[in-house]
Amino acid sequence: MLKVAPIVQEDQELILSSLSPGPVQRRLALLVVLGILIVFLLITVGPFSDVQTKPVAAFVPAYVMAMFVCDTITAILLFAQFSVVRARAILIIASGYLYTALVLIPWILTFPGVFGPQGLLGGLQSTSWLYFFQHAGLPLFVIGYALSKDADPAERTWHGTTRGAIATCVVLTAALVTVVAIVCIGGEAQLPRVVLDSLRLGPQWPFAAAPVALLSFAALIFLWTRRRSMLDLWLMVVMCLYTIEIPLSYYPSPIRFSVGWYTVRVFGFLSSCLVLIVLLYEIEALYARLIGAIRAERRERVARLMTGDAVAAAIAHEVKQPLTAMTTSASAGFRFLDRSSPNLGRAKEAFEQIVADGHRAAAVVDSIRAIFRNDIRTRSVLDVNELIREALILERADLRRHRILVQSAPNEQLPEVQGDRIQLQQVLLNLITNAIDAMASRDEPRVLSVSSAAYEDDGVIVSVADTGAGVSTQDSERIFNPLFTTKSDGMGMGLSICRAIIEAHQGRLWVSPNSPQGAVFQFTLRA
Amino acid sequence: MNDRPPGFTIAVVDDDQRILESLQDLLESADHAVRLFASATALLDSGCLPEIDCLISDIGMPGMDGFELLRAVQAARPQLPVILITGHAELLDQMPSVVLGQYRLFKKPFHGEELLAAISDLGSGPVT
Repeated sequence: MLKVAPIVQEDQELILSSLSPGPVQRRLALLVVLGILIVFLLITVGPFSDVQTKPVAAFVPAYVMAMFVCDTITAILLFAQFSVVRARAILIIASGYLYTALVLIPWILTFPGVFGPQGLLGGLQSTSWLYFFQHAGLPLFVIGYALSKDADPAERTWHGTTRGAIATCVVLTAALVTVVAIVCIGGEAQLPRVVLDSLRLGPQWPFAAAPVALLSFAALIFLWTRRRSMLDLWLMVVMCLYTIEIPLSYYPSPIRFSVGWYTVRVFGFLSSCLVLIVLLYEIEALYARLIGAIRAERRERVARLMTGDAVAAAIAHEVKQPLTAMTTSASAGFRFLDRSSPNLGRAKEAFEQIVADGHRAAAVVDSIRAIFRNDIRTRSVLDVNELIREALILERADLRRHRILVQSAPNEQLPEVQGDRIQLQQVLLNLITNAIDAMASRDEPRVLSVSSAAYEDDGVIVSVADTGAGVSTQDSERIFNPLFTTKSDGMGMGLSICRAIIEAHQGRLWVSPNSPQGAVFQFTLRA
Repeated sequence: MNDRPPGFTIAVVDDDQRILESLQDLLESADHAVRLFASATALLDSGCLPEIDCLISDIGMPGMDGFELLRAVQAARPQLPVILITGHAELLDQMPSVVLGQYRLFKKPFHGEELLAAISDLGSGPVT
């Protein structure tokens, strides 16, 4: 059973692999590519082509170790992305980086000079062929990633367990690397001669290398036509690096440990690092945004609570004044009567005051209602669907944060209604916020559906449905009571005020159960 | 002493006119003499502070509030019994931590009989 809700459109902005790169990143990528080209030119035809370099024994192991670690971490991060996003494309590119890491193992085992003068395993040709296979691997996976990205959304998503998928890919990749290693090491005798000795590359080398370079270039083109996200951008830079590495290995000098060879190794390390650095940077940025968003949400919550609380305190205080006068006068009147010689005059005065205070209390309550009902004269003709759209836009951040799927089903044939735009907006926002709260602690799927329809002759009915905990039948009227709340830290004023507003618009607001779970709040308005 | 009414002379301070009047009725029904003031400054300006036996004051008033009045009164007459009444329950958290003379706090609305009982308790033995 599908446990993760489908990724809502609004969520795309949060997912690393589909974040679109800003102009800064694009410029940076361009700079990196230009830098690579300049270095390439300097070394092949420029002043550096004559530089002599010596073989450094420790270079190869150190370099392999660094690349292995970088590629593995990149693969791990991309597999983690997959477990969240469930896109096959991410699984493919993650496997690509894992392949790149694993194939380094047979490569270093066969490299002459590291584990023995002829390498621990394999023959002279093994190392170079392993290099070709390694160098062809990532571009192939990138092409798979590019093709998979734009497939049908239904096909794009993985519908099994993510752990199973990751385990399968890891095993398959390891198997692939093993096969490649066997071919290059065991079948060394059958491989074409591309290497002359442990240092020099042979004249056949470019012919074997050319297809690999073309493959990298093809991967670049595939990505170029399908690029959308940050990940695509930096994978393209990596493919540039891969393409340029091939000619740089052979020109100006087809010798290992030449300046060109060292540069190729450095490029290789760079291509391992790039995607990793970008992923880590974006993770930090997301983390910061998350903290900021949580803080903003808390502040907003507190502000909302305080407003409701302040209103309640004001109301309480205003009503307590006449009530106090009434009880005090009642005690006084009683005492004036409860004497051996009752003072009827003062008792009567006291009771008259009580009556007057009772009316005063009613007037206080009415004046408070007037605050909420203020500007009933500012009624205008409204488009209910427009109100719904605006409310959903205002709540978009909250909905996204809680990964709530929004289904909006506006009926386009709605009659126009009269009402106070601001107040009705408040009602919608309140109902949506309640829905979000009801679903916040529930398992997915979380679905909010807001719909509108014609009602009776000239009215409109709006429904806000959630898949949260729902409202029990005994509470279905109590929740509109001003002091009722099921929230541990909230004021219950919201729904009572909403009902007051709707009733001031000659409508009704009520709640009914949603199937299979949750609540549906509906209100009616008339023209 | 014979021409004094049997009860105390009580000053009442509240910005709500109706509460002042109802308290006057209540206190007079218990045979106390009552002086009414619409604000704390009115009481302090009137100069009758030395003559009263008890003070009843609202806390939440514009200008000088009940706590400030309490401090001013304590300076002048430390032993004066004071009863504070409030419509804001949350002010209970801000009670002065120093025990000033004798005082009580009542929330609005209060029981008339309990208020009168408190006056008798606090004022037993009117002070000069």
